[in-house]
Amino acid sequence: MKRVAILLVVATLLMAPSFGSANPNGVGEGTFDAQCGGACHGDADMNRTSASTVSLDVPAVVYEGLLTSVAVTVSGVQTTSTGVLGIFLLSDVTGAEDTPEDDGWTIVSNSEGGTHNYVEVIVAPGVMTYTVEWTLRAPEVGDYRLHAAIHHGAQDGSGAPFFGVSLAPATVEVQPVPANLPRLAEDFQPPVLRTLGETTTVRLTTDAVTDLQVEWRVEGGMTRTAKTTFENEGVWTFEIPASLEPVVVEWRVHLAGDGPTQTTPWLALQSEEPRFTVDETAAYVQAFAILFVTMVVFMSLQRRVPPPGEQPKILPFPNEVMP
Amino acid sequence: MVSAGTLHVITTELAIGAYATAGVAFLLAGLASHGLFGLGRHLHTADLAAHFALAFGLLAMPFAMATGISSSPGDGIDHPLLINKMLLGSGAIGLAMGVLLTRRRLGAGVWEDRGGRRWQSLGGLGAVGLVLITASMGGTYTRGESLLDVLSLPYDVVPLMPVWLSLAVLCLAVVNLVLMRRPRAT
Repeated sequence: MKRVAILLVVATLLMAPSFGSANPNGVGEGTFDAQCGGACHGDADMNRTSASTVSLDVPAVVYEGLLTSVAVTVSGVQTTSTGVLGIFLLSDVTGAEDTPEDDGWTIVSNSEGGTHNYVEVIVAPGVMTYTVEWTLRAPEVGDYRLHAAIHHGAQDGSGAPFFGVSLAPATVEVQPVPANLPRLAEDFQPPVLRTLGETTTVRLTTDAVTDLQVEWRVEGGMTRTAKTTFENEGVWTFEIPASLEPVVVEWRVHLAGDGPTQTTPWLALQSEEPRFTVDETAAYVQAFAILFVTMVVFMSLQRRVPPPGEQPKILPFPNEVMP
Repeated sequence: MVSAGTLHVITTELAIGAYATAGVAFLLAGLASHGLFGLGRHLHTADLAAHFALAFGLLAMPFAMATGISSSPGDGIDHPLLINKMLLGSGAIGLAMGVLLTRRRLGAGVWEDRGGRRWQSLGGLGAVGLVLITASMGGTYTRGESLLDVLSLPYDVVPLMPVWLSLAVLCLAVVNLVLMRRPRAT
């Protein structure tokens, strides 16, 4: 019993470092508060202020429930030799419940092909400015603030966790939607991910729209116009051609109607290799089954070897009668 | 702060080093127990070294696995290599535990029985081999190449059974294990 206790204590101590370890290669995109769940970058005793500048570009006025674009630009990029840079879009910087969703915003997409407020990008050597764009659906009428923050390491590999935040928040006024404003329907969800080699058909649902034009572009390429088809009242479809390599295709819609013509922000559509999916429960159960089966099969093979205590004792004269 | 990746390298080297030692010692013990190459007098040393190293490797494996999971990018099991790694690692752990439990039950006497010594050395070598292939798969996953790539093992094929079948096999194995603990009828 004492040995088991010692074993457990040693095992716990050995496991401890893995729970408190840093993540120099990042943690991947996700929905995170400003301090990333107590990461070293947010620890005032450990972190250092980033020399990079973080700025936000947001329309001053947006309409309730409609899509809008927010661009976060990091200037004077500093990062590790691997180029990993974490970028946040936040509603405040308190470190608790400060994602845009906490203020009622909905993240529809970002230019990195995700739908989270935290993205990790790889910045190529020599690139000093990096911009990530988020497409958000506006919350209820009111005044809102948006912040941006960054996490990164140092080029010299010293391991210092750097933290930077936008100097001033961007203020956004959300107004009620004018009655006849041509717009995408509130329940329209643009696709954000597709598989390589597959053409994407987008079904647009609109309000107060009599005509529309769709433009799409591959990052860095020329803008093209897609052919749209009117399905029925307020519903239109168009196709984005298949991509042969993992790229982000951006598209936007010019909406015309009785009200002033509107243009949606660029919406990102990430193409990627078909994802490998597996039933994880089946994998774990099979792993346990294999563990027990190999153990039992081997022990069964050795079962026919009798243990030392069971080996027959050879008594030379079992029936000898002592005088 | 030490990253999970660095800790994974440390714990993996610890486990692989122990398993490699165990492999050599099991080979020596197998040869010695069969009286080959005049190694008979080294049987006791090889026996202790093999089982101690195997036990140490087994102890180090969970840490290697935990740090490996922490350091791998993405969520969950999102690559066929990782599934095969987990399945092969489970086989290695099961075989190693079987070898150690047998040694515990039979003591050094396992080397005195003709079949016992054969299976014990083969079981130990098999466990070591499975661990080495598992580690090789880790190299293929992170670096895209590994020493055992010459074997052209089908890492991308995932032999996954339905849950009900895995559960049935698991139950069967556990029942066997329980029955094995019962004393033999005389």
